Amino acid sequence: MMQVPVEQKVLSENDKIAARLRSQLANSGTLSLNFISSPGSGKTQFLERTLEMLPRGIRAAVLTGDIQTDNDAQRLSRYGFPVRQISTGGACHLDARMVEKHLTGWQTADLDYLFIENVGNLVCPTSYDLGEDAKVVILSVTEGEDKPLKYPGIFRKSELMIVNKIDLLPYVPFWVKLAREHARKINPKIEIIEMSALTGDGFDQWFSWLNERAQTKKQFPGRDRERAVVLTGSRLPENTLSMS
Amino acid sequence: MHEMGIASSIIEAIQKEQARYPGSRARKAGVRIGEFAGVDSESLLFCFEAIVKDSRLEPLDLGIERSGGDELDLQWVELDDEVCV
Repeated sequence: MMQVPVEQKVLSENDKIAARLRSQLANSGTLSLNFISSPGSGKTQFLERTLEMLPRGIRAAVLTGDIQTDNDAQRLSRYGFPVRQISTGGACHLDARMVEKHLTGWQTADLDYLFIENVGNLVCPTSYDLGEDAKVVILSVTEGEDKPLKYPGIFRKSELMIVNKIDLLPYVPFWVKLAREHARKINPKIEIIEMSALTGDGFDQWFSWLNERAQTKKQFPGRDRERAVVLTGSRLPENTLSMS
Repeated sequence: MHEMGIASSIIEAIQKEQARYPGSRARKAGVRIGEFAGVDSESLLFCFEAIVKDSRLEPLDLGIERSGGDELDLQWVELDDEVCV
């Protein structure tokens, strides 16, 4: 017997495709975000509201993943942006190959944003790089404050946590401060926005975040954000794109 | 439950490694799984064994080493080198 060292990522095939996607989206200056949450936390509603409120002239497209049905694509396609459903047919997550396949025919050079709504699941999507610029985890106030502790993987890998459904706070026992503490314990650098996709509360902050990331990407397409911030010497101006 | 997909990816990687040594047979492989990788070892082992059982890959074992980060790496493959050059 002989033992040969391999030392490679198990998902290296996925990661190769993800790297190809990332390079394509870097060339086109498209900001790509991978939204991950439990089922029922309001991902689709959140994206509907986002598309509805996007400033005029912004070009976005959505890929939405589900195990079955194209219900979400139907909901999202009402806002005049290109939307495609990825039906995984059983798989509990999206992988880079599915994303690449469903981008076929779209000119990413024409896109400012690519929003990818992953299958509702806090575990499996964590392992698969989709070539995104950032993972965004959504936690709603009808869930437990301790989700970051129970599912540390996704909170560790996400750059932004959205606390959704804050309009329900008067009716449910959810302590936002505790959820924030738990998230920061797992990932001290995670940014947090409280919002209600139903009422639109918190969307100013969300659009500032989005705008800042998009501007950074356009100026420094190949570099990561922290380096870009260091190079410019300060935070980039917010709201360079006017809100309609 | 994405452990079945992970198990298939491990087997693909093992086969690729085996192909680099013509005539050899993989007998065991070692993976490293971080606690934040989102992969359950028991479930992964179950899936791996289910794929290998009664297939031409048999016998093939999987060794799992736990670690602290979010790694999900194939570390080594043990090859039966009787027919190796």
